[in-house]
Amino acid sequence: MERSGLSVELVGLSRYYKDVAALSSLDLKAEAGELVVLLGPSGCGKTTALRALAGLERLDEGTVSIGGRDVTGLAPSKRNIGMVFQSYSLFPNMTARANVEFGLRVRKMSSAQRAERSSEMLELVGLKAQADRFPHQLSGGQQQRVALARALAIKPEVLLLDEPLSALDAKVRSLLREEIRRIQLELGITTFFVTHDQEEALALADRIAVMNGGRLEQFGSPLEVYSHPATEFVAEFVGSVNRVQGVVGETGKVLVDELGVVEYHTAGNSGYSRGDAVEVLVRPEAIGLAQDPTGGCSIVGQSFLGASVKVKVATTRGSILTCELSPLEASQLDFGGAVSLYMKGPALLLSRRTGISSASAVEAQSAMS
Amino acid sequence: MVAVTPTVGAKGVKDKGSDVLKLGKPFRFGIIGLVAVFFLVPILASARYSFLGNNNTFTISAYTELFGTNEFWSTLFLSVKIGLGTVFLTLALLIPTVIWVNLRLPHLRRVFEAISLLPLVVPSVVITLGVITSYKHLPNLIIGTPVILALEYVVLALPYSYRTFDSAVQSLDLKTLVEAGQSLGSGWGKLLRFVLLPNLRSGLFGAAVLTFAYCIGEFAVASLLSFTTFPVFLVQVGQTAASQAVALSLIALLFTWIPLAVIVIIFAQRRNRAAAIDAVDPLEAGVQV
Repeated sequence: MERSGLSVELVGLSRYYKDVAALSSLDLKAEAGELVVLLGPSGCGKTTALRALAGLERLDEGTVSIGGRDVTGLAPSKRNIGMVFQSYSLFPNMTARANVEFGLRVRKMSSAQRAERSSEMLELVGLKAQADRFPHQLSGGQQQRVALARALAIKPEVLLLDEPLSALDAKVRSLLREEIRRIQLELGITTFFVTHDQEEALALADRIAVMNGGRLEQFGSPLEVYSHPATEFVAEFVGSVNRVQGVVGETGKVLVDELGVVEYHTAGNSGYSRGDAVEVLVRPEAIGLAQDPTGGCSIVGQSFLGASVKVKVATTRGSILTCELSPLEASQLDFGGAVSLYMKGPALLLSRRTGISSASAVEAQSAMS
Repeated sequence: MVAVTPTVGAKGVKDKGSDVLKLGKPFRFGIIGLVAVFFLVPILASARYSFLGNNNTFTISAYTELFGTNEFWSTLFLSVKIGLGTVFLTLALLIPTVIWVNLRLPHLRRVFEAISLLPLVVPSVVITLGVITSYKHLPNLIIGTPVILALEYVVLALPYSYRTFDSAVQSLDLKTLVEAGQSLGSGWGKLLRFVLLPNLRSGLFGAAVLTFAYCIGEFAVASLLSFTTFPVFLVQVGQTAASQAVALSLIALLFTWIPLAVIVIIFAQRRNRAAAIDAVDPLEAGVQV
């Protein structure tokens, strides 16, 4: 199978609806063969960015380049981009095979070439046996696979997937997600995938572009985005966080009442000095629980998630923190007894807290020393 | 195959439902019977009258005499010609307009729908004069020829044709289909030919048949513009030969009923197909991921 990926560059993309900015100066560059996930809540501009790349959305400012060629002014039909839509977009009057062949027919390929290519594509998505079925005779997952085969049949330079799995149930989503990744790696095609599902983004992406309010919040690998979020929004949108109050101590350390001395990465948290009152963002899996009759904390709730157990703990300060434990760790705890909290890893992010009296900051500092 | 097991309590619900059906059945048949009598008696009486000769004998002379006149065929041919021309002009106007409105101006859809209904509230004489005044500068090819009548009918049949086609367009996810086609490299010509028109076939057919039926039966405007179409001929015959006029009106009824029957059959097929789609057994259809 040929590798057909090209780099894609979005420079200063802006799109306004009356006074509202759906996209605001978006800059993004995807390397050839890379799978970039555009992640964000509804209305963050991720679909607008994707549609602008496809040429389906008019831009107020900015340029789109594919393989170094400026395609900003090109009609969607001239961009050679394959797209899979959120809603089922198969042509209802055509069989799965005819749907896959449509783009080839438009390109005036001979019927023999069309048949060969459509067979190849349907085999790639595992639907060769269903080639003669109409869309209404296929399940949702099968329809999206045919849509993927149809988008790939034209040998696109870029593949765009606009929440293609959102209408499917959890099990089908997970299977199809893996299949999309396999096909993308096999073809080496540069792919943009829009989703609001953080788990989907983390599982699929080479790099994730987290968007909010039409702007890019962070662009990095899944590990980077999850472990070193650039903003509070990213920290809270990708995964979940606990917010606790603390005071900055010596370099790289912060004192938190509920958790003691907590380390933090100074690289992403510069500009803080000793004594600053801050909010500390901590991932649930970074907090450990230990059985401790003198701990003073109590478990107030738990939910079993299969691979992990989420435990809610009431602290001595009256706050409720969420911890994520392995089933083994959870099984060793007496859920009725007192527990204490400890940190298993560094804090995620600091956020400046205002309105704190200097007296309490000094008190906290002296406690730390 | 999946066996469906009735749940506890389902029996009670079913019994209650069938009681209601039992009570309602005679009433429903009664109403249908009354309506049938109301419509069928005049038609059957007319039919009987059209087959009555002197001394109450059975004869088909009213029909044979009609079919033997040149005027019958020429007016029928003219009406069919105008009907087909109107259908052509209507579709040429509707297809791009309705698709464009639904795709690019969805916020104006209600406005266009209201405009399409205007012929129902504006007297046809006013519309006729309006169209003539608007087109008076057009070449002789249009003014004074049946083309002007076709243009009138395009406007007058809009309430039926527009709504029929519009509802068919709305039943499609038009935006996604168009964008999917465009992303695959298709221009508008191929999109219309291979994707949109095949999927809008029943809507197109419905609009065409309703428009044609309207043209075949329209009298007032044709008479006002001095065209002897089939309905105008019917009225003229009625002034001299009563039984022939009744025979003609029965023939005219057939011309309206046949297209309507075609619509009913097509829509029933569409409903059945939709029901079949809903009832597709996922296991039998081999539905997997």
